[in-house]
Amino acid sequence: MSSLAKKRQQFIIISLIIPTLLLIGFVVFPAIDLVRMSFTNWDGYSESSDFIGFGNYFSMFQNKDLWQSLKNNAVYFFIHLCMIPVELGFAVLLVSKLKGAKFYKTMVFMPYIINGVAIAYAFSYFFSPINGAFDAILELLHLGMLKQNWLSDPKIVNFVLAFVSLWRFSGYHIVLFMAALQSLPQDVQEAARVDGANAWQMFRYIQIPAIMLMVDFILFDNIRGALQVFDIPFVITGGGPGYASSTFTLYTIKTAFTFSNFGLASTMAVAIMVMIVLIYLVQNKLIHGIVLKGEKD
Amino acid sequence: MKKRTMVQCVKQLICIGMVILVLLPILLTLFAAFKTKGDMVKTSPLLLPPFDRITFANFEKVLKDKYLLVGFKNTGIILVVSIFFNVIFGTITAFIIERFQFRFKKVIVSLFFAGMLIPTFVTEIARFKIINGLMLYNSLGAPIIIYVASDLMQLYIYRQFISTLPVSLDESALLDGCDYFSLFVRIIFPLLAPATATVIIIKAINIINDMYVPYLYMPKNSLRTLTTFLMNFANAQQGSWQKLAAGIIIIMLPTIIIYVFFQRYILAGVAAGAVKE
Repeated sequence: MSSLAKKRQQFIIISLIIPTLLLIGFVVFPAIDLVRMSFTNWDGYSESSDFIGFGNYFSMFQNKDLWQSLKNNAVYFFIHLCMIPVELGFAVLLVSKLKGAKFYKTMVFMPYIINGVAIAYAFSYFFSPINGAFDAILELLHLGMLKQNWLSDPKIVNFVLAFVSLWRFSGYHIVLFMAALQSLPQDVQEAARVDGANAWQMFRYIQIPAIMLMVDFILFDNIRGALQVFDIPFVITGGGPGYASSTFTLYTIKTAFTFSNFGLASTMAVAIMVMIVLIYLVQNKLIHGIVLKGEKD
Repeated sequence: MKKRTMVQCVKQLICIGMVILVLLPILLTLFAAFKTKGDMVKTSPLLLPPFDRITFANFEKVLKDKYLLVGFKNTGIILVVSIFFNVIFGTITAFIIERFQFRFKKVIVSLFFAGMLIPTFVTEIARFKIINGLMLYNSLGAPIIIYVASDLMQLYIYRQFISTLPVSLDESALLDGCDYFSLFVRIIFPLLAPATATVIIIKAINIINDMYVPYLYMPKNSLRTLTTFLMNFANAQQGSWQKLAAGIIIIMLPTIIIYVFFQRYILAGVAAGAVKE
């Protein structure tokens, strides 16, 4: 028996050692190293760097461009948040009795799997100021007076980029909602229908509770995603004009790899990590609590 | 009965609207790819050029670019090697976490969980130094080791799948004199094939589409991937949208083709990744 236990232990150690070391070396250690670097003024190439205490933290909080970037993240967050009910509506529509539902599901999810950089360029063309397709559509609808510099007007550029983000990720949320709705046993729905529940009651008392956990996940995914928006502004506007469409992650990456201020960039990276962990904890305690309570109603 | 047909009509209209919204930016890019420089100005961006003026020159230009082939080759190599290790490590890690109790299990599980929570792009600031130190900068090794070590979604898919396999399976195999390795290799691993299909396809799409890791770690021309090829191509075509449009369409194709053929696996895996705990 003890030889079996020994063999078991051997098996576990041999199997787990490489994946665990890789995880520690390339994920956990870098995350910890970010914290250490955030207290230094390392420039990315020098052999040595000085310990400067909380200096980076002070300059981070005083950095107006960074706050502007964080505000831009908020635009993505709120636009995606407002779309969650619409996405849910689509999911309900697509699991209901509908001719061609399968085809529609394929189409709605497609943007999520297409190359993000290619999408970004396609939308740069779509919204381009010279012979742009979107302006042509507006003219077709006799709305030519609404024409704007979609990608260079600081007031609207973030909304345009957030729209691109919606175009790309909404299908993902719809498919997740559909999966949650379909996980609901058919006999429960059947029984409710026999008992005379109407469409609204079905939705409110049967479907909503079933998808609350998914709402929970999508909310978290939305916050995390909005905080980490990167490739859409990176490719389409480069964060410009100025920092008008920069995001927290984009600004952090620029601080490191363009301005060679790895110390300050690490501080910002730590800030993102802290935000994500805090949101996760708050959500787990607070929203999760509400959601599960809602389920018992 | 009449009310019901009305409802069906409205539903169809909403869905058709959605399809138009999805296809429009892609379709208009495709139109542009068929235009000559002159037709970019002369014909509306919403229309194809007159039939006799449709040109394939833009596609030719992209296809003749020697770096397109380089991009395909590099993306292919990264894809095969990363996915191979992802599947091996993913299956065995999920198997052990799901089926065994051992010391430090909690620590290891929470390490993997923390790995999912750590933000992706900004970690490169610290990872960059490590990759450099290992002399992996400007080599295919950089993206491969990063994808293998840090992309952990396969663990959820495998854990969920393994939890549906009966434990009695392991027990009877062990009683029959199977050791742990052959239990895993001969019995568990083959049973995971459907989950592995999902993992392979989702990973392939993620890797083909990833921009940042190859962009950051492999600036060398000969190390372009499909995505960084498009970025370089775009920079070189400053202003001639018709040529860039052809590039966009060609780079979009691989994942769309994978999607059309393997949709079932992708949709299964996406939902499995989300419903954790």
